[in-house]
Amino acid sequence: MELLPGTLDMLVLRTLIFGPLHGYGIARAIRGTSKEALAIEFGSLYPALKRLEMKGWIASKWDTSELNRRAKFYRLTAAGRKHLTQEHSKWAEFVEAVTNVMGPVPVP
Amino acid sequence: MIRQKLKYLLPSVRREHERDMREELEALRLLAERGELGNLTLAAEDARAVWGWTWLSSLAADIRYGFRALVREPGFLAAAVLTLALGVGANTTIFSVINATVLKPLPFPDSDRLVLLWKTFGKGPGNENLMSAPDFWDLKTQTHSFERVAIFDSSGRGYNLSARGAEPEQVSGVRVSADFFAVLGAKPMLGRTFLIEEELPSRDHEVILSYGLWKRRYGSDRAIVGQTIRVDGEPFTVVGVMPRDFAWQFWSGPRQLWVPVGYTKTDYARENNSFLSIARLQPGVTVAQARLEMAAFGSRLGKQYPVDDAGAGGTAETLAGYGLEGARRVVFTLLTAVGFVLLIACVNVANLMLARGASRQKEIAIRRALGASGWRIARQLLTESLLLAVLGGTAGVILASWSSGLLFHVLGPGTQLPMRQVDSIPLDGHVLAFALILSCLTGILFGLAPVIGALRTGVSDPLKEGGRDSTEGGGSRLRHLLVTSEVALALVVLSGAGLMIKSASQLLSVDPGLNPKNVLAMQISVPQEAIYTGPPGLPHFCRDLAEHIGAIPGVAAASAVGHLPFGGTAGRGFQIEGRPPATAENMPGARYSVACPDYFRSMQIPILKGREFNLQDTLESPGVIVINEAMAREFWPKENPVGKAIRFGGSDGPRLTVVGVAGDVHFEGLDAPVASQFMRPYTQAGWPVMNIVVRTSYASPTFFTAVKKALREFLPDLAVSDAEPMTDILRDSMASRRVPMLLLSAFSVVALLLAAMGIMGVVSYSVTRRTQEIGIRMALGARGADVFGLVLIGSMKWVLAGLALGVAGSIGLGQLMGALLYRVRPTDPVVLGTVSVLLAAVALLASYVPARRAANLDPIRTLRHE
Repeated sequence: MELLPGTLDMLVLRTLIFGPLHGYGIARAIRGTSKEALAIEFGSLYPALKRLEMKGWIASKWDTSELNRRAKFYRLTAAGRKHLTQEHSKWAEFVEAVTNVMGPVPVP
Repeated sequence: MIRQKLKYLLPSVRREHERDMREELEALRLLAERGELGNLTLAAEDARAVWGWTWLSSLAADIRYGFRALVREPGFLAAAVLTLALGVGANTTIFSVINATVLKPLPFPDSDRLVLLWKTFGKGPGNENLMSAPDFWDLKTQTHSFERVAIFDSSGRGYNLSARGAEPEQVSGVRVSADFFAVLGAKPMLGRTFLIEEELPSRDHEVILSYGLWKRRYGSDRAIVGQTIRVDGEPFTVVGVMPRDFAWQFWSGPRQLWVPVGYTKTDYARENNSFLSIARLQPGVTVAQARLEMAAFGSRLGKQYPVDDAGAGGTAETLAGYGLEGARRVVFTLLTAVGFVLLIACVNVANLMLARGASRQKEIAIRRALGASGWRIARQLLTESLLLAVLGGTAGVILASWSSGLLFHVLGPGTQLPMRQVDSIPLDGHVLAFALILSCLTGILFGLAPVIGALRTGVSDPLKEGGRDSTEGGGSRLRHLLVTSEVALALVVLSGAGLMIKSASQLLSVDPGLNPKNVLAMQISVPQEAIYTGPPGLPHFCRDLAEHIGAIPGVAAASAVGHLPFGGTAGRGFQIEGRPPATAENMPGARYSVACPDYFRSMQIPILKGREFNLQDTLESPGVIVINEAMAREFWPKENPVGKAIRFGGSDGPRLTVVGVAGDVHFEGLDAPVASQFMRPYTQAGWPVMNIVVRTSYASPTFFTAVKKALREFLPDLAVSDAEPMTDILRDSMASRRVPMLLLSAFSVVALLLAAMGIMGVVSYSVTRRTQEIGIRMALGARGADVFGLVLIGSMKWVLAGLALGVAGSIGLGQLMGALLYRVRPTDPVVLGTVSVLLAAVALLASYVPARRAANLDPIRTLRHE
């Protein structure tokens, strides 16, 4: 399933709410939580990370991974958390509105 | 965020980021499964773009890459840069001339608020008329659009400066009213300008000097103010000196002195329209508003003075725009033609780029296969085109700096612009900006061709082994369309030149009505009270002239005339004796001048009936006139005019008898119809400016010295202008056509060359691409002649289409040229036919060379080549 445009940033921020992750971890986490439904291209995820970092919503630092490998870990900042809350309620409103319009699946 | 972005511009910060990113991606690659993360290079590329400066570094990389690619192909580089240099250079040259002339700002503060005011008679255009001093006095009190108004005697005249022990000298000066300098916003460097009371004859013996005259003749003497100098033999007090940057000129050359208007008795007559009015608009008043007020003022004059100002109106125009109508037409024509030359250059370079693009198809396909977007490829190709355009533009500016100097040299004499002194053609910021913008536009224009070519080609085709379109493909249609447009553009430029050349030859075949060979002309200002009515200021001028100058060995005849042919004219009304008197409104009139005896013999103007003036025509003898054929035809169509009489200036004027009819002279220019003209002998009617004409039996530059020496014997106080051969005066009268003709001819040579190069390039290229096809055709039995015909017809088809389009365009350009043409219609079949045949011949020649090559191909070698 393709991502809706503009939702990637929100997904990344949501994924980081449980703690810092490295880039590959984020990709895996989104894929896992969406039950493999959302295919995240790393090619678009990586620039998104840089973008979020520049906006100050996430911060990064080098650390050691679970397998004792060095990797760059991203964590949510206070500003990022606030932004996520806003995005989350907007998203909820959007989903509700769309669901209201669409209703149950029509019988063919 | 912006600060972060800016920080990223620092190389050290950027290097740090780059290393960090590389390490991070490497670490991730080790964590992930093989290939799971996809194209990491692309991911890094996109991440870099987040920082916002990738375009800058990729631009730098593109420029570096483009430069290397261009240098690798020196032949292509040289051809493209040279072509562009010709195109941009020609345009920059023309623009630099326009910039230095028509666009040159006037040297006065807020000069856009300066206007010339005219009285008008009849409907425009060309109905602008001078006004009289009483009109000016009314104007000052009755109008409100103007901050200040002044008058001056339009072009002024020569003033004789003399001093004991110094050579007398004639300098040009103008009579001005007191506010003249204030209107222009000019302040004197020394002393003061004129006072209002100095407009009256009793106080008018004062003079203001120009900086140049003050420096040259008076050795920059600051004590000159208050001193007395001799002007026309009378004492004048110097009251002021104008600063160096104040230059006032009307049509030719800056004026060197100013004297107060000093209203004479004739100036008080309302009918004596001899002044031009200049004004500074009130702040906030537009020229259109001023024009309305002047129209109302003029029609009020017409009602108030039904005799002198019947049917009068009024108008105003900006000083900066005055007299530029003719120049504007030349400018538009030349810009169109030179713009077309640039377009041809563009087409040629586009063709070169297309041919080169074909050999780069593989490179571009590989780039796209590696993930470059179409936009990225287009950007790179456009960068290369712009790089080429800027290189070509730079070469063009160098070319222009040389050719504008050359052009100025050619333009120099005979080019007169009102109000502007053109003494150089600088390559200033405007010109450089023009060249830069033009180069960039050119680069984008010809750069589009390879972009379209590259984007249309698929990714996989060029990469297939041996893959090529072995016959004419879609790309070749684009190239051939370029040939068509090139031929059309070249034809328009060529026919523009052809129309001008035909106009000039038509003009040269016009008989001027006099023989200009071996005639020297020089101007002298003579003292004169009333100009139309007074007796001559120098009663013995004509006799002395004949005696002293006629005695010089080698001089065949010497005389003088008030208005030299091809110079200005004056006009005068009259009543014909024995016919019912006409009202002031429809009184007959004709061009008027005065001449010394022997004038017609000196100029070799035939006397058709009667006689010309002789020394027996004196103030005591009956008044006489000599009329031209046109006047005889107009007023005495079925009678012999000799012996008939007119009343000069109206029924109560002096009675003048026609004693001779002279052949028509095209005195208002070879392209103007001959107007009716009559002349009085100088011995009976004076004129303030006389042109001495000397016919010599052979051409020699030494005559002038002898004539000057002879003049000193009988007119020691009067200075004479430099002598000019009548042939030069006649030639300069055609300058307004000569310059565009020369330039259009030069452009058409360039256009023809470029078109030939372009056609040859396209045909050669298509032969190269069709080598395989031609080989097969020949292997199947086609002979050399068949292949030759195939290539030639293939190319000429497109050339003919271009010719057809070009003919239509030529007629359009011809319309634009309008009055520049003389006795040639824009649709002239001879001109259009000649240039079409010429262009077709050149195109044929340009296709012949590659067609020959195609015919001589060896089919076996061609096919083995595969």
